Amino acid sequence: MTAWMTTADLCRYYKRARHEVRAVDRVSLGIERGEFVAVVGASGSGKSTLLNLLAGLDRPTGGHIEVGGERLDRLSRRELSRYRARKVGMVFQSFNLLPHHTALKNVETALFFDGTPRGERRGRAHEMLVRLGLGDRLGHRPGDLSGGEQQRVAMARALVKRPEVLFADEPTGNLDEENARAIIDLLIELNGEGLTVIMVTHDVDMAARVAKRTLRMHYGQVVGDSPSPAATPGPPDLPPAAPEPGPTAPDIGRGP
Amino acid sequence: MKFNDLVDLSIGSLWRIKLRAALTITGVVIAIATFVAMLSFAAGNQRWVENAYTELGLLTRINVTPKEKTPADSVEAAILDRRALRTLSTLPGVRMAYPYVEFEVTASAADTQVTTEVRAISLEVMRIKPFSTMVGGVVFSSEDAREAVVTGEFLKKIGVKDGERLVGEKIVISTRVSSIDSALAGVVGDPEAEMADIFGRVAFDSLANPGYRGRVLRRELGDRMSRFVDGLLNHQVTVADTLTVIAVGNKIDQYQVPVSPVIVPEGIARRFSSSGVGVTNDPANLLTALESGTIFSPGGADDSRGFPRVTLETEPQASHAAIIDSVEALGFKAFSFAEEFKQVQRFFIYYYFGLGVIGLIALATASLGIANTMIMSITERRREIGILKSLGADEKEIQLAFLVESGTIGAVGAAVGILFGWVGTRIVAAVLKIIMQRQEMPVFDPFTLPVWLVFLALAFGIAVSMAAGLYPASRAARVDPVEALRGD
Repeated sequence: MTAWMTTADLCRYYKRARHEVRAVDRVSLGIERGEFVAVVGASGSGKSTLLNLLAGLDRPTGGHIEVGGERLDRLSRRELSRYRARKVGMVFQSFNLLPHHTALKNVETALFFDGTPRGERRGRAHEMLVRLGLGDRLGHRPGDLSGGEQQRVAMARALVKRPEVLFADEPTGNLDEENARAIIDLLIELNGEGLTVIMVTHDVDMAARVAKRTLRMHYGQVVGDSPSPAATPGPPDLPPAAPEPGPTAPDIGRGP
Repeated sequence: MKFNDLVDLSIGSLWRIKLRAALTITGVVIAIATFVAMLSFAAGNQRWVENAYTELGLLTRINVTPKEKTPADSVEAAILDRRALRTLSTLPGVRMAYPYVEFEVTASAADTQVTTEVRAISLEVMRIKPFSTMVGGVVFSSEDAREAVVTGEFLKKIGVKDGERLVGEKIVISTRVSSIDSALAGVVGDPEAEMADIFGRVAFDSLANPGYRGRVLRRELGDRMSRFVDGLLNHQVTVADTLTVIAVGNKIDQYQVPVSPVIVPEGIARRFSSSGVGVTNDPANLLTALESGTIFSPGGADDSRGFPRVTLETEPQASHAAIIDSVEALGFKAFSFAEEFKQVQRFFIYYYFGLGVIGLIALATASLGIANTMIMSITERRREIGILKSLGADEKEIQLAFLVESGTIGAVGAAVGILFGWVGTRIVAAVLKIIMQRQEMPVFDPFTLPVWLVFLALAFGIAVSMAAGLYPASRAARVDPVEALRGD
């Protein structure tokens, strides 16, 4: 049986100063819905490039990617944008929030491109921020928020469109321990609700602790693919990331 | 992404670079203001010319004049006399034909005596343009009423500024006309003997025949010819009349068309002409009269001396080309103002184009500023573009967002530019008005801002700005999101 997300001989090569860099080199793998996959490896091993390829943000130079029966490598640029708009949520190490917009507007922006009616957007963005414990930060700009809060706004932005898969690229890389833990808890919680999570991290211990499966990359190739022994099937006994989850919290992460 | 979202996004982005956007918009404002002022000047002039044609009734007018005799011409030149006038008035499409009758008089008014031209018109003619416009609908009480209309030209001659005070005042006009008696007196030495001698040899009934007349003149008059002409011109009788000024016709002075200083009813002119051989002592007319033999026919309503010009008032829808053909077939020259107007309109197309180009050059310069601003904006907003792409924005949406941004610069710049252009033209018009008044020139406003110009300026402002934003927008669309989002 074919996995929900598969790659076969996936390559992403590019030229840099007359040298060919093999950022992703003949990667073949399958990921099922609802998995929590951690991609680990040293800097420059190709983790982020693999993530970008799976998220449809980058295009492969060889091989193919299939998500839910759809060949991403064959999609037009416009169709690939639609894929990102409707099925993918992304979280980055450096948050990548729009600095001049409020938290609410940042989250709302994610709904510009997936066809959500204008009148619905604000309500959904508001609900999502409340669910992630940012109900009192709606009108704040990123510069006025702490790193943890910014990453939670970024999470809200990724989740508000109810994606099928969440890609997190070093989501805790810029956070202190407490905030990192809160974000990881949130990811575990979301995965527990059925959302597929693919997380890139260089922290092997953390990956082993939270992910159900770990892919190890080295020089563009997947050199290890193993279930994480320590991974727990559900949310651990940790305080919830969102202090006051709203009673009308949307059902996120289940996909169609 | 909806258009409203694009506008929100673009205005938000411009707001963040307020100062730079304001400076860029200022460039567009100056360009559009120049464009508007230039075309508004062209439109003002066109309006003035069109008004002149309408107010003076030129679009339904054809002027007929005698043509030069040339042997090569297939149509023989005809004399523009009363008979021709009657024929012309019956041409299809012609509503009315009236002659140009003007003669020189000595006029006394407001204790001043001047030599002036007097134009004679019928009541019917007085009811049509330009006369109806000129006097505001005032009409002589009858065809031979002892009344006159004076124009701005006459006021200038007698040095009166407030013409209205002349209304109701008397004006005395007098002229010296040639009489056949005085002409013949110069020719004949011993009147009784010479007259009897000449009458014996000349068959007067046959003088209308040009060949016979020529022979008689050569044979009988010889050196007496000069004495005859001398008698016609220098031994004249004085005819005078006292008229009441009923109106001052200065309402078309702004169009600076030549108008006779005094206008009188046709009956007055007829009274003057019937006293002698002609309504004028112009030697050219005299020669025409001599040549055609009409000098010996009685003056008055049916005198058949030639007119220098006959004006045809046409039906509004009549084909001027067809009327001109008919007139030329009769042996005259014809000039249609409507045909001339077509040329004038063609000229205005070039005029608009020329002035518009100056405005467009300014706009092209401003567009460089827009392109510069947009390119800088892209460099600064690479990460933002990457974020939007990661959220699902496609290239077209990014491109459109930047185009809307440059279009917004254009729209705001154009709107303010139109306002500034209009205010500028109002200021210039006000200054010109003061200068015109001081110079005692006819005052007119050379600027107008028609609705089409407002829309054109707005469209140009937006279109040129968006064109300037095309390259930056396509660059923005091509930003690689992976590169743009890569760490700090």
